[in-house]
Amino acid sequence: MDLVQLQRQLVEYRTSLYHEGFLDEQYTQLQELQDENNPDFVVEVVSLFFEDSERLLNELTKALEQQSIDFKRVDAHVHQLKGSSSSIGAQRVQKVCIAFRNYCEEQNVEGCLKCLQQVRHEYSLVKTKLESMFQLEQQILSAGGSIPM
Amino acid sequence: MAEKSFETTSQACCSTSSESSPILALPMDTPLRKVLSRISGFASSWGKKTVTAPRGRRIFHRDVEQDEFQNGSAHCLSSYYSVFVARLAIMVMLAILIGLLTVLTWHFTRVYTTKSLNTLAYGLRYELLQRPILRMWNVLNSTSEITTAQVKLSEYVIKRYSKPTNQAELIELYQMMKDITWALFASHKALNAITINYRNGFVQAFHRDHRSNNTFYIYSDLANYSISDTQSSQQGWNDQFIHGNESAIWYRQPLDPVTGEKQGKPSQIPPEDLINIAGPSQVPDGVASWHVAVSKYTDSPLLSAALPVRDASNRSIVAIVGVTTALYSVGQLMKELVEVHSGYIYLTSQEGYLLATSTNTPLLNNTANGPKLMMATNSEDRVIRMGAQWLQKTYGNKFPPGHVVHVEKANLGGQHYYIDSFFLNLKRLPMVGVIIIPRKYIMGKVDERALKTLVILISASVCILVIGCVCILILTNGVSKEMKLRAELISHLDARRRAEASSNYKSQFLANMSHELRTPMAAVIGLLDILICDDCLTNEQYAMVTQIRKCSTALLRLLNNILDLSKVESGKLVLEEAEFDLGRELEGLVDMFSVQCINHNVETVLDLSDDIPKVVRGDSARVVQVFANLISNSIKFTTSGHIILRGWCENPIVSSDSGKLSPDQKNPLSALKTKLKQHGNHMKKASKKDNKMILWFEVDDTGCGIDPSKWESVFESFEQADPSTTRTHGGTGLGLCIVRTLVNKMGGEIKVVKKNGQGTLMRLFLLLSTPADGIEQQRRIDFAKHGVAVILALHGSMGRLIMSKWLSKNGVPTLEASEWNELTQILHELFHARTTNSGFDTHYSLAKPLRSKVQTLQDMKNPVYIIVVDLGLLDLSTDIWKEQLNFLDKFSGQVKFAWMLNHDTSNAIKMELRRKGHILMVNKPLYKAKMLHILEAVVKESYVEPPNGSPNGTKGTSKQGDSHECLEIDSSQFETCSSDDSDISEMTGANSASSVGVGEQLKEGTVLKSGPPTLRNCLVEFTRLGLEVNNLRTEEDQCNGRPKLHDTKDVKCENPDSSEQPSVRSNAKDRDNSYTTNKAANEQKTLEGLRILLAEDTPVLQRVATIMLEKMGAVVVAVGDGVQAVEALNCDLDRDENRTNRLQTEICDSPPYDLILMDCQMPMMDGYEATKAIRKSEERTGWHIPIVALTAHAMSSDKEKCLQVGMDAYLTKPIDYKLMVSTILSLTKRSP
Repeated sequence: MDLVQLQRQLVEYRTSLYHEGFLDEQYTQLQELQDENNPDFVVEVVSLFFEDSERLLNELTKALEQQSIDFKRVDAHVHQLKGSSSSIGAQRVQKVCIAFRNYCEEQNVEGCLKCLQQVRHEYSLVKTKLESMFQLEQQILSAGGSIPM
Repeated sequence: MAEKSFETTSQACCSTSSESSPILALPMDTPLRKVLSRISGFASSWGKKTVTAPRGRRIFHRDVEQDEFQNGSAHCLSSYYSVFVARLAIMVMLAILIGLLTVLTWHFTRVYTTKSLNTLAYGLRYELLQRPILRMWNVLNSTSEITTAQVKLSEYVIKRYSKPTNQAELIELYQMMKDITWALFASHKALNAITINYRNGFVQAFHRDHRSNNTFYIYSDLANYSISDTQSSQQGWNDQFIHGNESAIWYRQPLDPVTGEKQGKPSQIPPEDLINIAGPSQVPDGVASWHVAVSKYTDSPLLSAALPVRDASNRSIVAIVGVTTALYSVGQLMKELVEVHSGYIYLTSQEGYLLATSTNTPLLNNTANGPKLMMATNSEDRVIRMGAQWLQKTYGNKFPPGHVVHVEKANLGGQHYYIDSFFLNLKRLPMVGVIIIPRKYIMGKVDERALKTLVILISASVCILVIGCVCILILTNGVSKEMKLRAELISHLDARRRAEASSNYKSQFLANMSHELRTPMAAVIGLLDILICDDCLTNEQYAMVTQIRKCSTALLRLLNNILDLSKVESGKLVLEEAEFDLGRELEGLVDMFSVQCINHNVETVLDLSDDIPKVVRGDSARVVQVFANLISNSIKFTTSGHIILRGWCENPIVSSDSGKLSPDQKNPLSALKTKLKQHGNHMKKASKKDNKMILWFEVDDTGCGIDPSKWESVFESFEQADPSTTRTHGGTGLGLCIVRTLVNKMGGEIKVVKKNGQGTLMRLFLLLSTPADGIEQQRRIDFAKHGVAVILALHGSMGRLIMSKWLSKNGVPTLEASEWNELTQILHELFHARTTNSGFDTHYSLAKPLRSKVQTLQDMKNPVYIIVVDLGLLDLSTDIWKEQLNFLDKFSGQVKFAWMLNHDTSNAIKMELRRKGHILMVNKPLYKAKMLHILEAVVKESYVEPPNGSPNGTKGTSKQGDSHECLEIDSSQFETCSSDDSDISEMTGANSASSVGVGEQLKEGTVLKSGPPTLRNCLVEFTRLGLEVNNLRTEEDQCNGRPKLHDTKDVKCENPDSSEQPSVRSNAKDRDNSYTTNKAANEQKTLEGLRILLAEDTPVLQRVATIMLEKMGAVVVAVGDGVQAVEALNCDLDRDENRTNRLQTEICDSPPYDLILMDCQMPMMDGYEATKAIRKSEERTGWHIPIVALTAHAMSSDKEKCLQVGMDAYLTKPIDYKLMVSTILSLTKRSP
């Protein structure tokens, strides 16, 4: 495939992610940090994020299924999720997390469940987006090209 | 039915009102209020019903304001109802009160009148009755007396003629008796008749007929009676005597009523026609007897008394005397009485026979058997009859004892009468007197009057009620108005509270928003910095990125301003209390701003009075922010002229001093002084206690000025003196608002003051406390002693003026020159005049004052001349400056040169100067501290060598050290102004550190007392300060409209300059340099060799931070929570100890990590706990590992908490690359 076209596609895709608010500067900062010493830094961090998020989401689901909900725990989990999502720049997840925490403070079960759904949704969205982007990058790399910044 | 229900409701109403009425009478008491509130509650609930309908309709509008209004009006309505009800209640109460009063008055007056009248009436009745009875009594008495008299006389006469023996004697006796009896009869006109009935049946009688007014003598035929008869039976009467002498012939002879002479022939009359003649039957037991008799000659009953006449031996009855009196007179009296008093009186016998009445009705019944006495009940008079009947009916025969009856209200035929009866108990003739008086007569008027009184009273009370109601209406009108006002006030208060709450929400919202916005903005800027550092950018891209960065910083500044403002408004701004060098801070500020000012021909001058304490306690960042805002504001509006920052201490001496410095400001100044005198006094009192002092500052510019009408409003948020300036100058109008809030927070005030001439004069005072250990004595060399003279060859006239004034005040003679020619003139005057080998001094004619000054300088003994030369004086555009330098070089033996450099002075010139041995170089602007350094340097130099002999070449390296030091201090300050936009965020951090720490260390003997706490505070605060300064500069750059490329070139040409500086520095500061020059190649590894422990639970963040730190060369150990962090530290400590034994390297005295990055929220053990634990464990080693907090919030409360548990600084998440680096550096640099 045409390498240049691939590269352009990647750039466009990434820009669209920024535009649609899936990612923010923080992701850019992550990319900055990637260098020869840590060639797969972004992928590493993002997969870390995926793992962590899935764990947290499971925890949250469990916690919210409970008869008497421990809102402190839920809040702690959401806080973690918020922290990790903001660190990779998944800002839509982060935003939902903020709303989630508000509901937690109000001890609003309905809102929490709604937010959990939203978080799941956003998370899966950002996950697919990022994964497809990484695939693109992989393609470029395998084609012998460099990833444009 | 309806009426009834109405009645019950009205009754209920009355009862409620009467219930509340006693309380209502009290003046606005709490119970009253309670009742009123209850009533109003009732009324409001009542009123709500009427209100709800429109309200329900309007609620659709969802207009809060309208709803509020509606609420308020409902409130008003309810209060209106309550007033209405209260009014009604008061009226009803009044009505009841007045009614009661009326009724009581009427009742009592009536009762009293009736009672007294009754008493009177009773007396009257008694009296009325008493009088006829008395008359009766009199009649009886007189009758009895006459009878007795007659008896006595008869006895006497009969005694004389006792036992008449013959007819003649008997006749004589009778004649005698007749005479006596006549005499007696004639003397008593009231007598009806006197009869004498002898034992032998002979009767003699005188009779008076009152009707015909005739008097008769009645006697029986004398022939029938014999003397023997009288003698024959002594024991008893003869038959005639006893049975009445029916056979006897009776004669009646009329007599002259006065003389008693016979007037006509005696005529024979039938015995029955005769008057009552008392016979022996009437005196059966020989005592006087009474009875009421009737005669056919009179129509009134007669009272007759009979008494026996006894003989001398008093054994036998000789004759019987009877006296008859008509009761006519009694009736007459009664009539008279009744005529006067009205009413009816009658007398009856005990049996009820009428004896006398006050009427003319006949008392006798004409029956077939002759007239008979009439019963009272049969009286022809209606009233008497009815009265008698009533009495009989009421009491029957059972009269109360004594027959005394008093009846006040007897209904007789439809009319009321008083009936009183009395009993007159005469022997043998008991009598009853009855008086009947119509009630009308006595009480008629009273009753009538009572009715009238009642009517009058009722009408009067109605009048009073009406007037009272009107009064109440008028009085309560005020109350109701007050109530209305109160209701309004309450609703207003409510509205205000809501408004305040909403304003609070607004502040809160702004704070949150700006916080949320700030974080990404910081990231943007950080990333831009990274981008700028990237070498792969083309020039255009670089320019663009720089521009973006400027915009971003401008935006961030705005956000910071908003955050500041809302923090202050929501009361969350906490001012620090730390010692700081006020002068140094302000100098740095002026240095910074002068850089911009030079570009557009504005002079920035710092004029601090000498008595300003060097070290004060307060929030240095905020103080700097205040002045930065003010000065940047001034710069914005000043295109040419000067900006002066004046400062002095609250002290009368100083005020006059500063007045001297600026003579044109004297008047407003003194005016303000007096104006603020009370305030000042108050302040002084306060300041004496805790060592506080009032510091006055002025920011004086020559800009476009502010319209006096806007002097107050410029301090409002988003307010600008001229809205159009936003286009030309930019800005949001928040700066001054922040300034004012900050100044107020620091216990000061700021205002715009009237100024002579163009421009604005802002004056403020701050209340800052000085350190407790007292104001340190400023180190000052007595320059006058050293014979120093200064020639100021400076461009800026204001700065020169101020400086020369200050110098001359300190005993240093000065000369001023504003341009090259003047300088040369002075130099010629000074030196060529002395040496007198000059040929061209004649055409230089100095002004007189200058000449005299020169004279005084020449009079000095061995003066050390210092010429402060502005580099701008030289003609730099061409190569002439080199010749000028050479010219000046000629004097270098006699004078010392200090060069004032511009921030953009090219390196070539500096090199040239240095080559020529001019090592005293300072950057503009010149202020006292710099001047002092210059003077000190020169003086020290002159001490080392004799002042007169010091040629060019003898400047040894030993002196160079001094000069370098001097230069060093300047250059450390110089960094502030020379640092470019991109790295200023760290620069200021480093600057504050170096200016307080490093700079001070270099200064001999003046190590500041402010130790680690100050330093730490500075470091903690630097982020804000850095951003602030950074932003200021960016904005101004934009305003200046400097070409972008020029700016970047500026930066670029700056850098070699600053990288050149370290060559003069000592090695100890290499680390500082490494981060101040962030464009240097080694920037990537700024954290080389640092061991950092990272405690972070979120794996993503942990990884990111690790990479970030590792990228900069740090060794990172990451742990997942607080427990692990503490453990890692402890095991490292143990390992360290082992290693110490084994290796004995230099590590032995240093902690295992140089720094710890600590997330605050972690599972197991959070950052705060972990920090506490670490600090505790450190106690045994004596180390202090810097701990930096990582928090998700940036509120100062979090900061407080972080610092409280022993952390040294804090960073906000997501981590900003640059901030983190600078923070880490500032903390690790300090540790050895």
